[in-house]
Amino acid sequence: MNLPRLRVDPLTHKKLQRFRSIQRGYVSFLILATAVVLSLAAELLVNSRALVVRHEGRWHFPTYGRIHTGKEFGLDYAYEVNYRELGRKFAADPSGRNWVLLPPVPYNPLENCHPGETFRPRPPDWARQNFLGTDQINRDILARLVYGFRNALAFAAAFIVLTYAVGISLGCLMGYFGGWFDLLVQRLIEIWSNIPFLFVVIIVASIVPAGIGMNLGVLLAIVVLFSWTGMTYYMRSATYREKARDYVHAAQVLGASTARILFRHILPNVLSTIVTFIPFTIASSISALTALDFLGFGLPPPTPSWGELLRQGTSNLQSPWIVASAFSALVLVLVLVTFIGEAIREAFDPRKFTLYQ
Amino acid sequence: MTPVDAPAANDVILSVRDLVTTFDTDSGRLTAVDGVSFDVRRGRTLGIVGESGCGKSVTALSIMRLLPQPMGRIQGGRILFEGRDLATLPPAELHRIRGGRIGMIFQEPMTALNPVQPIGRQLSEVFLLHRTRDAADAWRRGTEMLRKAGIPAPEIRMHEYPHQLSGGMRQRVVIAMALACEPAVVIADEPTTALDVTIQAQILELMQALQRDLGLAVVLITHDLGVIAETCDDVIVMYAGRVAESGPVESIFDRPAHPYTRGLLDSIPRLEGTRKARLRVIEGMVPGLRDLPAGCRFHNRCPHRIDRCATAPNLEAVGPGHEAACHRWRELPPR
Amino acid sequence: MDASDVPPAPLLQLEDVQMHFPVREGLFLRSTRSCRAVDGVSLQLPAGETLGLVGESGCGKSTLGKCIVRLHQPTAGRIRFEGTDLAALGQAALKPWRRHLQMVFQDPVESLNARHTVGEIVAEPFVIHGEGDARERRERVLGLLEKVGLPAAAADRYPFEFSGGQRQRIGIARALALRPRLLVCDEPVSALDVSIQSQVLNLLLELQRELGLSYLFIAHNLAVVKHVSDRIAIMYLGRIVELAPAEDIYAAPRHPYTRALLSAIPRPEPRGTRERIALQGDVPSPISPPPGCPFHPRCPHATDRCRVEAPALRAAPGRPGHTVSCHLDL
Repeated sequence: MNLPRLRVDPLTHKKLQRFRSIQRGYVSFLILATAVVLSLAAELLVNSRALVVRHEGRWHFPTYGRIHTGKEFGLDYAYEVNYRELGRKFAADPSGRNWVLLPPVPYNPLENCHPGETFRPRPPDWARQNFLGTDQINRDILARLVYGFRNALAFAAAFIVLTYAVGISLGCLMGYFGGWFDLLVQRLIEIWSNIPFLFVVIIVASIVPAGIGMNLGVLLAIVVLFSWTGMTYYMRSATYREKARDYVHAAQVLGASTARILFRHILPNVLSTIVTFIPFTIASSISALTALDFLGFGLPPPTPSWGELLRQGTSNLQSPWIVASAFSALVLVLVLVTFIGEAIREAFDPRKFTLYQ
Repeated sequence: MTPVDAPAANDVILSVRDLVTTFDTDSGRLTAVDGVSFDVRRGRTLGIVGESGCGKSVTALSIMRLLPQPMGRIQGGRILFEGRDLATLPPAELHRIRGGRIGMIFQEPMTALNPVQPIGRQLSEVFLLHRTRDAADAWRRGTEMLRKAGIPAPEIRMHEYPHQLSGGMRQRVVIAMALACEPAVVIADEPTTALDVTIQAQILELMQALQRDLGLAVVLITHDLGVIAETCDDVIVMYAGRVAESGPVESIFDRPAHPYTRGLLDSIPRLEGTRKARLRVIEGMVPGLRDLPAGCRFHNRCPHRIDRCATAPNLEAVGPGHEAACHRWRELPPR
Repeated sequence: MDASDVPPAPLLQLEDVQMHFPVREGLFLRSTRSCRAVDGVSLQLPAGETLGLVGESGCGKSTLGKCIVRLHQPTAGRIRFEGTDLAALGQAALKPWRRHLQMVFQDPVESLNARHTVGEIVAEPFVIHGEGDARERRERVLGLLEKVGLPAAAADRYPFEFSGGQRQRIGIARALALRPRLLVCDEPVSALDVSIQSQVLNLLLELQRELGLSYLFIAHNLAVVKHVSDRIAIMYLGRIVELAPAEDIYAAPRHPYTRALLSAIPRPEPRGTRERIALQGDVPSPISPPPGCPFHPRCPHATDRCRVEAPALRAAPGRPGHTVSCHLDL
């Protein structure tokens, strides 16, 4: 009782164990979790900046930190070093005093990998370390995939936090207070959810001032604005259901305040079922972002994004590696998320099916 | 219940022998019914009484082969009905018997009725499945059945939906459906538990009247000793998946031999009893299927336990047609 | 039921309590009719006494219990607790009174929050009313658990680890935490197994003796109610039809409904030869109760007067403390 409430209650513990016992979901979870962690460290894996530079007896770690100019390493230019070139130059020096360690994919998602060459998609080329090829303006596809994944994840995370925050609090209040408040908000939600989402996105995209641009924040705001309503329906009915249960009555008889009943009793009991929605929300938000990008109403170029890659791919079908890599990545992630979602649903809400003979 | 002198052995219509039913769960296989045997006779009512988890409902579901699949399974024993073993009958033949030769009445009438069909359609469907091909004839027979079940204005009720009827009326409809094809046996699982006492009295009376008219055998499953005493001829007392005691209703209530039966009878408050007096109790709690005690299943709560109770007792004859599974039934003090 | 001549001052006094729920229907959810769940109930409950409240489902007995602990705000009438009319108080003014009136619920699975430990559940009353610090609360929780017959180790476990009877003990411990004067027990044993019911009934009786509690004991099982109650009120369609000392109501029921109810109870005696008064039909809907005596459509003795004029509760002749609401002298 005096312990901090960090321990997992045995019901949740049992659910987690059941989740771990569902192999497909658990393995998918491990794979996706690894991918997420790796994408957070993408600067160390996919980057045009070197991990380590050894120059004239001094160590440099250019990944994070200030920009190093060419002059610092004895080159003849005052803009940022091209570490791939630097590496080649140092390697040509037989003394071996100076060297450069580049990330496994030595390109960033925005740069032209092959400056001076014609713009055209190039197939995978292991010698040049374009493992998945390049797109139509010579950018590395793997780099764009990785950073696009990270953007999609950030979008999904922010999307979940915002839609759930609005949907849960409003739905909970509607369910708990009921009556006129509930009726009024319900009608407003119905009107609101009848506004066509895509039109609003198109209109906003055309009127957002060029200075701000259609950045992640604006896009997120629009999508959230039209997505929170779904959660209120669920929360409203779930709260109605919980409110009518005797443990809530018991708290009321004890004189518990409305806040206490909502936060100590109703919400914890309702939230445990909401966990099962999260993977499906992630899947739908990733697809929504990809679709918007595909249509050209999403993130502004040159932001790396899967939808933009798909669009390039479909208009360059003679270079199938573009569409193939973007498509496979999208399918893989959505399938993994769906497997996880299924497993969580199964573990948290086991509807043991029954057949009769 | 297994008659030695069997004067009316040919009256036995349903015979359950050594029934074992298990459930597969996350935490392993649980044995809900463990070697239960009994006979059901024509024109008589057999009551199965016990507390939650004693296996009385699972016994009924096993007879009907309505165990939740794929978790529930009959592991052993035979359920002999009209010369066939229901435990191994293929589903196609089972469907002909279920609803036709064996009727069912459940606790909650609303779950037994389809909420989006008028009751007339559901009732005549039973006739169409088992008796006739003529829809008008089936409807006519259905109306007649409702009348028999004591429903006023059955012609009008036939067109109504289940939610338009009261709980008592719904249970009458369920009874009418169960009896529609003049079954030989009716299995009623807590048929009146969801009903009020005055309605319960009506329903029990109806069931008894119909039983007399149709010569039915009834298996009545309930936790209410009062219902058992008033409606049954024979009683089985189940505890933790096994039969603790069985016999004619008078012997069970007048001369209970098993400490559990005695405890149950002593612990219920009676209208004639002294107010606010301390009730006798059975100590401890009903064991869950996960932690059944070894040996006699009741021994950890039994006031008369001895070392020998760590081995499971067999059912022994303690009177005419009266058996109890207790090592010490001879030595127990008279009540 | 001691025969002292001076009636003790009532702890709880209900005066014409009504609970009419609006029935919302139609396009604009206008409330044109109402469901008269409780339709004018007056009764008294002296300190230390148990009043049994019996009736069939839908008779309003649970609604009345919920009005008393103010889970419902009664639409009319007064609920006087030690003279103060609780029905007139707002939630804030009511809070200090809540400690005196607590409730034990029917279903111990539903009435305990599955996400809290038993210790947290039983300590919640102290938290809500700001009593004691963490250590003090813990001590009192352990004391309460011991009082209801649970081990101290129970405090750190969760409700689902307990059986139905033990969970009901947890619910009782929570209700006792603030040392209430009155406990409204709403079907406290009907969800329990037969062999566990007697354990819980014994516990309730012991607690009453030890703490001088008053009980409003709501149940449909007349044998259980008779066992624990000093007086019994029979409810039908939101009204009290008969109120009498427990022994009296069983020995000499006056109302035809009480008689039918008593005769309908199955007794655990095989082949008993007693006459059963079969009631026809079902309980009418409290949305459109019949005119006159609410029981007259099912009453075997109904006269023309019963169909028109609603009987008032009156003293039964020759029976002190026995009141009945029937035109006839049966």
